[in-house]
Amino acid sequence: MNCEVCQLKELEVEHFEIREVLRCILHTIMFHRALGLVRPKDVDLQLFDITYVQCGDVELEKKIDEKIDQFLCWVEKHPNKKSQICLSFYEVKNNKAMWFSNRVERLYWEHWYINFNVVQHPKAHSSKSHHSKVVDPGENSSGGESARRTTLEASLQDVLFQIIRFVNDKKDHIPSIPSREGISFPYDITIPSSSDTTFGMDMIKRMLQTGHPTMLS
Amino acid sequence: MNSASELGRLEQIVSQFLLKTLHIILESRIPSLKPQDHSEELPSNSRVKRSNKWFNLALGDRPAALENLHFWHRNLMDPMVIDIIVVHREPQSQSQSNSCGRVALEGAATETVIERWVIQYENLRVLPVQSGDFSSSYKKTYKKSIILLRTIYSVMRLLPSYKLFRHLTSSSQISKYDVIYKVSSFSNPFSREDEQTMKQYSFVPVEAVNGRLCVCVTYRSVLSDFDLESSASFPPMIIADYVGSPTTDPMRAFPPPERGIRATSFPIRGTTRSPSSVPIHRPHSWSSGIHGAAPSFQDQPLGGSPLVHRGSYIPNDFISSPKNIQGPRIQNYRLPSSHYKTSSFDDQLSPPFSPASSPSPSPPAHLLSNSPNQSRLRHESAPLAIPQPILSRSLRYMSPNFSDPNRHSLPPVSSRNTKPEPSMQESPSPSGIGTSRKSEGLWPGELYSGMASQSFGSKVCRDGKEDSGRFSGLLSSGSSPRVGFSRSSSRSFQDDLDECDFSCPFDVDDVDTSDSLSSQNLDARKGLEFTSSALSMGRKSQDAAVGALVHMLRTAPPLRQGSSCYSTQSLKGEQEANLGTASGFFTPQKAADALEELNSYREMKDLLLSKSRTLSS
Repeated sequence: MNCEVCQLKELEVEHFEIREVLRCILHTIMFHRALGLVRPKDVDLQLFDITYVQCGDVELEKKIDEKIDQFLCWVEKHPNKKSQICLSFYEVKNNKAMWFSNRVERLYWEHWYINFNVVQHPKAHSSKSHHSKVVDPGENSSGGESARRTTLEASLQDVLFQIIRFVNDKKDHIPSIPSREGISFPYDITIPSSSDTTFGMDMIKRMLQTGHPTMLS
Repeated sequence: MNSASELGRLEQIVSQFLLKTLHIILESRIPSLKPQDHSEELPSNSRVKRSNKWFNLALGDRPAALENLHFWHRNLMDPMVIDIIVVHREPQSQSQSNSCGRVALEGAATETVIERWVIQYENLRVLPVQSGDFSSSYKKTYKKSIILLRTIYSVMRLLPSYKLFRHLTSSSQISKYDVIYKVSSFSNPFSREDEQTMKQYSFVPVEAVNGRLCVCVTYRSVLSDFDLESSASFPPMIIADYVGSPTTDPMRAFPPPERGIRATSFPIRGTTRSPSSVPIHRPHSWSSGIHGAAPSFQDQPLGGSPLVHRGSYIPNDFISSPKNIQGPRIQNYRLPSSHYKTSSFDDQLSPPFSPASSPSPSPPAHLLSNSPNQSRLRHESAPLAIPQPILSRSLRYMSPNFSDPNRHSLPPVSSRNTKPEPSMQESPSPSGIGTSRKSEGLWPGELYSGMASQSFGSKVCRDGKEDSGRFSGLLSSGSSPRVGFSRSSSRSFQDDLDECDFSCPFDVDDVDTSDSLSSQNLDARKGLEFTSSALSMGRKSQDAAVGALVHMLRTAPPLRQGSSCYSTQSLKGEQEANLGTASGFFTPQKAADALEELNSYREMKDLLLSKSRTLSS
């Protein structure tokens, strides 16, 4: 069973848009990977004219919101940077053959990379800018702001279609659901940690955990 | 398991897939078939119907029309073509009849196909079917079709026609547009000019043992021909006095803005709201969807004839006749369900073939926005305690009622006893008495608001923030567009404090003191102690606090159903009359509730003191 990877199109977002956009993307992916019985819930975005679908699972919603909070903290410490969030699905394998290690092994079978470029425009928050550059930049930036937002809305829609297309294209690698697993496959969400180096270490750790398919046979 | 039974299962999967796809398409395109809010449904697995469990996508009850249409679709190999048609009623009749894109109807209405879905099971008997393939083939097919249906569900919300659907279902006015559907096994090709305006999206087919399930949609990418009243894109706006939507939380019915907000005008609607009450407040477009005269398709031959459904009208001929023809076939679909055992693999992914279906995992607690927010409300936003006014009989006595979680942020109004207790009048704190005497000259409402405004000040801020947290949760889970609310709520409260433009809602003598409960008196006394210092503050902050009070009352949740007995009477200040009617209103407070109230008073006191210090300095 191979591991499929999907790199989503990069989105240029401002800080205040991250929560909505990230929630939309993560829930959309989860809705297509939560193959247990769900009662879909439509959610309208506030900032854009887009409706996405959630699974309606409280625990899932909570976990996603927690991760988004952590990511927002990271973004505040590392402003104006490109960042990546990884949503991964794995299978749990009890590898008892390895005598020196009896730990549970995760076999990742799908990675979704959500790419952000967090920018901060000069007139991003009108509440904060109080005195300078009143007249002219106000008009220009409002026009630019709406153009940027329109572009972001179109890009977000593209990303959602990208998810749907990927989900439709690749179905053979999906494992069978183990019983009593809830509505979704086991997953984890990786956000950039406090330093870039540790983020890289997280990726390496996951690669080690994934293991080669032939080792498990 | 022999190949015949496997094929039978596969047929059932395909049949249910067609039905499920039709359900998904119709419920998100046809306003008259829009499902009720699912929030009132219990999330318990045992109550999910077997038909709902197919493909692990619970959509709710199927419209009755769907069952009849399913009978009509005889042959699984025939494509199912679903046309979504916009009917545009025009004042003058037109005689255009070019292609199937636009058809002129009698009575001056134009039909335009905005979407065409084609679902087909293509039978490809190219490779010889081996017995070994059957064992897991239908399971894989089922799993893949689950994913396919999820993508169809998502795409339905991303296509341009969804905006039209939302506009028609949310608009309170009768629109000149209506959306109907047509299901058939053939499709008239579009004209060239229509094809140019339409795009196509094809889903990757799901492979089965002897064929594949194909779904594709042709849709109009631009719907600018239909001039909807409201624009499709809403830039975020701050709505200062947003009161929410009735469907976001049935337990929180906000008063409509046009009622105006008086200090004592609490919504009469009870906190419990039956599911049927929701549509009453959100008018559906059923009436516009049902046409007066039935079309003449009743005379059309059966079989491949298109079935046009307008609104919920179902021609009887299609119900009765197809049964005779499809009788055995239908039984084929029904009987296997009782014969097949559930498979042992992947309990969560096994189709619900048998009546005693495999134990699916308990569906996620389809939580509506209410319950986490209600629990959050219980814990986070402590009831606002408006301290009992010192003197005037016309002042309304409000005190928190912790026993009712729905009344957390709005002090309940009591018409129980408008006769002031002697203890209430004799405020324990000298300063309280002094200030009360001082305020005799003021309007009772002003006194009340003046007293309570500072106590509101801190509470309002706190509630504002809590509200923003609360409503952001609501927003994320609701289905109706709510724009720019979550971040603005706290700001609006603080803005209200800063501005002095709110008219005083207490200009008339419309409040009354009431309550004879000793526990309430105790709290009132304490409240008086804490808020007496508020009267020493300037008038400017009082006005701002009045505004805050007004705002809070506007956004307050409804009281219990018993509130209807007091709200109007107490407005007129008929205190004696309220004595008897309000007896059943109050519930005794528990010690914990009183302690909580005491803490809130303490906090208010601290805030007021700090404010007074800053003002005096």
